[in-house]
Amino acid sequence: MNCQDAQSSLSLYLYGELDFAQEEEIEVHLEQCAACQLSLTREKQWHTQTNAQALEPPQDLLAECRRQLRPALARETSSEPAVVRSWWRWGKPFDISFNRWSAQVALASLLVGLGFFSARLLDHGSLHGSLQLSNSNEMGMLNSPNTLVRDIQTGSSGEVRIIIEQQSEISGRMDDPTIRRLLLAGAREPEPDVRFYAMQLLNQQSVTDQAGDLREVLFDAVRNDPNPAVRMEAVDGLRRYSSDPAALEMIKFVVEHDDNQGVRYQAINILVPPDRAVPMTPAVTQTIQEVLLSAPSDDYVRGRCSQALQEAKVAVIY
Amino acid sequence: MEARAGFVDNIAVQGATLERTTEADLVRAAQRGDAGAFDELVRVHDHQVLRMAYNLLRSEEDARDIYQEAFLRVHRNLPKFRFDSSFSTWLYRIVANLCLDHLRKRKVRHEESASFKSESGEVDRLQFIPEERADVDPQRRFQSAEVNSRIQDVLAELTPRERVVFEMRHYQGMRLRAIGQALGVTEEAAKNCLFRATHKMRAALGDFA
Repeated sequence: MNCQDAQSSLSLYLYGELDFAQEEEIEVHLEQCAACQLSLTREKQWHTQTNAQALEPPQDLLAECRRQLRPALARETSSEPAVVRSWWRWGKPFDISFNRWSAQVALASLLVGLGFFSARLLDHGSLHGSLQLSNSNEMGMLNSPNTLVRDIQTGSSGEVRIIIEQQSEISGRMDDPTIRRLLLAGAREPEPDVRFYAMQLLNQQSVTDQAGDLREVLFDAVRNDPNPAVRMEAVDGLRRYSSDPAALEMIKFVVEHDDNQGVRYQAINILVPPDRAVPMTPAVTQTIQEVLLSAPSDDYVRGRCSQALQEAKVAVIY
Repeated sequence: MEARAGFVDNIAVQGATLERTTEADLVRAAQRGDAGAFDELVRVHDHQVLRMAYNLLRSEEDARDIYQEAFLRVHRNLPKFRFDSSFSTWLYRIVANLCLDHLRKRKVRHEESASFKSESGEVDRLQFIPEERADVDPQRRFQSAEVNSRIQDVLAELTPRERVVFEMRHYQGMRLRAIGQALGVTEEAAKNCLFRATHKMRAALGDFA
């Protein structure tokens, strides 16, 4: 090995990326060559100096990335019919395959299925001690590919108790009262995907919320839902109630208290629409002033509120 | 969820040798739709992903975008993942390609500058360079600041591919073989790339060292 070869391999040597024979050669050369030893020292120096340039991401950046990933994943997941995925998962042990139905029909089916599960549980007492099923309907149910084993328990005397359920489904138009009722129930389901999707479909409906049941579901989600994507969807649903003082109060609550930046920004966009398509009502102006008075720590929120008031030529109160 | 607890126990009880198996189990669980398992995978790797993106792009905003896009792509394509490589290699391939695209676009726009955007506004890169102690010779301190500035210049002048390979080897400590797998090139190609990058660094910093 000559000096040129040695010097061009010094970085790979320091990285430990030379094979055994090359490493041996360079070490033998270094032992005999003062010039290359000096080059190695310089090489180490620039490696060390470059190490000092490594940046560690700020602590809060990772936390923020994680917070933002969850709703993004929820949105992504909700763009596929949640039901089909769930069914696929539940049906897999029975080798059930599903067509990709329209999302609305699939969701409605899942919700009805969930609702009917408890009613379709077998009479547990009839299974104790034996497997005698005199009822031919129950026999048929056991052979059905839609039957799912939900729980298995063993008793002290060796018997096995199997809890089974059968899926049911319903389909209908979005303006059908039963579908609407099931969607409202879905908006309170434990599975966030189902809540999000149900709320999204409800928000898209043009049917007037005469009974106020959607409003109630949205208010509840805005205040209490642990999933930011669901809260964001619920806040979006408040648009249709923009003349409702209670809804304005709810939007203000989100702007001031929600710990998720995306949800807060969604709320401020409803309060102060970026396109300013609709003139601000006195109630909205007052709400914006109240938000400013609460001295929000979020620069963006403060800026949007101040700008909206300035554009409306309303005094900015701090 | 119980199954996931089992994986964690495996890590604790059986040690590092089973980690790869455990990760594969987590991947399979995530492929079956276990959101908790996907969460675990994110948490195992996300700090490194963010660190790599942040170091390469030197912008909080860009690093945040890469982080989110990388894990969304992983989530989207996980059902198609067939264990042809390890999960981490696959993940790094996604991150590296996203960073490469970003760097290429940036090269086109010539937007690399002495400052970068953060939440608190424009930030001078040099403020992140550790300060010398006050008792250090002023001449040396000046020289050190110059070296740091020069290093930034050289890093910015590397081609996107050289920059990514250098980042992966020098800052992330990845082996050339893994870098090659992550970038979809041979180990030899990754080595040549690193060779060119270190040659440029040496040429630019030789006077100071």
